[in-house]
Amino acid sequence: MADSFANVSILYALPWNTDVVSAVAFIGNDKVAAANRRGDILIWNLPATGDKTPDPARRLIGHTGPVNRLLVSADGKTLISASNDRTVKFWDALKSDGNPGTIFMNDGYKFVGPTEGVAKLPVLPSPITAKVVEQKPIREFTGHKEWIWGLALSRDGKTLVSGDDAKQVILSDAQTGAEQRRWKVKHWVRSLDISPDGKLVVTAEQFPFIRDGDTDVGLHGWDAQTGEMKFDATKQFEASKVLNVGPTSFRFSDNGKHLAVCMGHIDRDGPAGKVFLLNPTTGEKVRELTPSHLRGATDLAFHPDGEHLFTCGRDRAIKIWRLSDGTQVHEITLSQDKNKKSGPFTPTLHAISISPDGKLLAVADSSGQVVVCTLEDRKK
Amino acid sequence: MLKSTLVTAGGMAVANWGALTHSQTLAAEVKRSGKRCIMLYMAGGVSQIDTFDMKPGRPTGGEFRPISTKVPGIQVCEFLPNIARHADKLGIIRSMRTKTPDHGPGGYYMHTGYHPGERFPHPEVGAMIAKYCENPESDLPSFVKIGSKSGVYGAGYLGPQYEPFVTDDDGKLPGFANPSVSPEIMGRRGELLNFMEKRFAEQCSGDPFAAHRSAELRTIRLMRARQTFDVSAEWEKAKDRYGDSKFGRGCFTALKLVEAGVSFVEVAHGNYDTHNDNFPWNKANFAVMDPAWGSLMDDLTQRGLLQDTLVVWTSEFGRTPAINVRAGRDHYGRAWTVVLAGGGIKGGQHYGSTDRDGFEVAENPVGEADLLATIYKAMGVNHRAKHFLGSRPIWVTPEGSTPIKELVG
Repeated sequence: MADSFANVSILYALPWNTDVVSAVAFIGNDKVAAANRRGDILIWNLPATGDKTPDPARRLIGHTGPVNRLLVSADGKTLISASNDRTVKFWDALKSDGNPGTIFMNDGYKFVGPTEGVAKLPVLPSPITAKVVEQKPIREFTGHKEWIWGLALSRDGKTLVSGDDAKQVILSDAQTGAEQRRWKVKHWVRSLDISPDGKLVVTAEQFPFIRDGDTDVGLHGWDAQTGEMKFDATKQFEASKVLNVGPTSFRFSDNGKHLAVCMGHIDRDGPAGKVFLLNPTTGEKVRELTPSHLRGATDLAFHPDGEHLFTCGRDRAIKIWRLSDGTQVHEITLSQDKNKKSGPFTPTLHAISISPDGKLLAVADSSGQVVVCTLEDRKK
Repeated sequence: MLKSTLVTAGGMAVANWGALTHSQTLAAEVKRSGKRCIMLYMAGGVSQIDTFDMKPGRPTGGEFRPISTKVPGIQVCEFLPNIARHADKLGIIRSMRTKTPDHGPGGYYMHTGYHPGERFPHPEVGAMIAKYCENPESDLPSFVKIGSKSGVYGAGYLGPQYEPFVTDDDGKLPGFANPSVSPEIMGRRGELLNFMEKRFAEQCSGDPFAAHRSAELRTIRLMRARQTFDVSAEWEKAKDRYGDSKFGRGCFTALKLVEAGVSFVEVAHGNYDTHNDNFPWNKANFAVMDPAWGSLMDDLTQRGLLQDTLVVWTSEFGRTPAINVRAGRDHYGRAWTVVLAGGGIKGGQHYGSTDRDGFEVAENPVGEADLLATIYKAMGVNHRAKHFLGSRPIWVTPEGSTPIKELVG
């Protein structure tokens, strides 16, 4: 597989220009779910061949605020979403029936760069619609009182971990929704994960601006049973201030051997999108992966082969790293409209997901699309 | 020693620097209103739709929800609960229409009411208010800027004595303001300086020396009054309410300064230049801004200062109604919001409005100069008072500018 990463190619660019596409997750190997900041979730069935761009098949209705995270249970049966509407919602990932509906796919904006001159809503292009099946959540978790950015599920599927802007981390029973325990962290939770053995919860925290330019950041490990802090990985980065742009994603590999974090909650000039591998037990830095993303790294995903890490960023790049030595083995930069400005006004790749079989990659592209790539060499 | 004594001892005439001459009629017009002003400046351009002109349910509405206040019809952002408590005191101008969406020119315009390209510098609003409202007997500066994020545009033709005194972002004085010698020694040094410079001043009356001498005098006065800036002891009790931030401490320092008689204090906060990730950025900004502003309103009210203290919440421009592909909002001057409170402002009302998506002013457009005319009116300053630069007349605000009578009567 590693050799074929050099021949990654776009399989589908699924247009969805309604609002910023903010989250993405594979359901099995032939479906992809994506969410936007309007609170919609769409699911596409991906044909085996890339000859025709598919329309979305399902629309999941229920969130009333932006969706920040999507994940799918290990058995592939449940899709879970976390939102600014203060809820975590659970959806039947495989159900195909529901109420028929129609969705507009292009009623958003095409603004890139400063828009001072825009004096009214632009005339929208001719509507592009799609016939979808509309579905509602099967249950929801309402234990949060603030925006939820942290979302993880234990590998056995039994425990949901979620974290919010009220600095609360909550463990709950994924089936019943019963809250098991909660504890308070130092700043807003931007990302979290639970170790494959279920013993450790890691949180990436941030609160921008309270010190007028600096950023309050935390990278912590917590005992999942007690909420006791097991490590503070923040201090080792204080001198370099590389964390000041804020962590965006903090995850264990499924085999538990690796813990990775990336930076880029704030868009900042230069190579601000740092990616680090940490010791999964102590939080100590193992290595920095270079070269960094420009302007910020926004999400990361471990490849199922256990040997590679994928990251995406504000520079529209997808980077593929070899975990054994930290080498960047490949980089893909998604092109953009030639009329769009580059630099700080470049649309961002917000989220990344890899299919369970490791053959497909999907990214949530804020320019109004979900991009699905094949990781296999199609020429073979 | 009072300021007037010092000025005499120094042999200086601190008014009418350089080429500027004030008309005799103007001098007669000067009124010391005893009013004060605190300007809260949101540096970078603050979003109107995410604060006081929300558009729930519209494509431009964004990610924040409105909350109701005790004033029917006035809703504010869910992340401004402390300001919401004071809705009955707020005059919310939702119809600002300003001329430039660039930071530098926008800041100049909003501080002076004039185009930044004019040949001579106009004084910023703080300098003008200092001139007309200062207590000439006070050792404190009459115009203080807490932090320089809002830009320092200066006293212009009013001369160096009205230049702003700029502190750190949290209102603390620079380290050198803590003298290493006793007040008696400081006094004797001042007298020596005055003696040495008296003859020089009689022989050399140029602008540079005048500015230099003014700065010296202000520094000596400040050394006597510096304790007013030291809010350390009280801040320990106040910081839970204001928020333990530089802006929070800056607002508390502003309270103490106006309480001590300073005419104009500007406190800057930001960055509000949210071209990307507008909503989490602004949520964080508001988490700092809201408790500070709300607590400032609380304390001004409880200490009986609000009636004579105008509070201005402003910026260099607003932000686009449309949300860009980076979930940000860009610069926008065609329709945005400024809020006034206290100082005789008729609160509990909106003035002006925007269309349903917030792109255009729907009624009662207000320009930069109209806003400043309103501020001057509330402060008891004639916004059309005439000054002269040589023989050229200059007005406080440009011709055609009009105070908003619905807010100030």
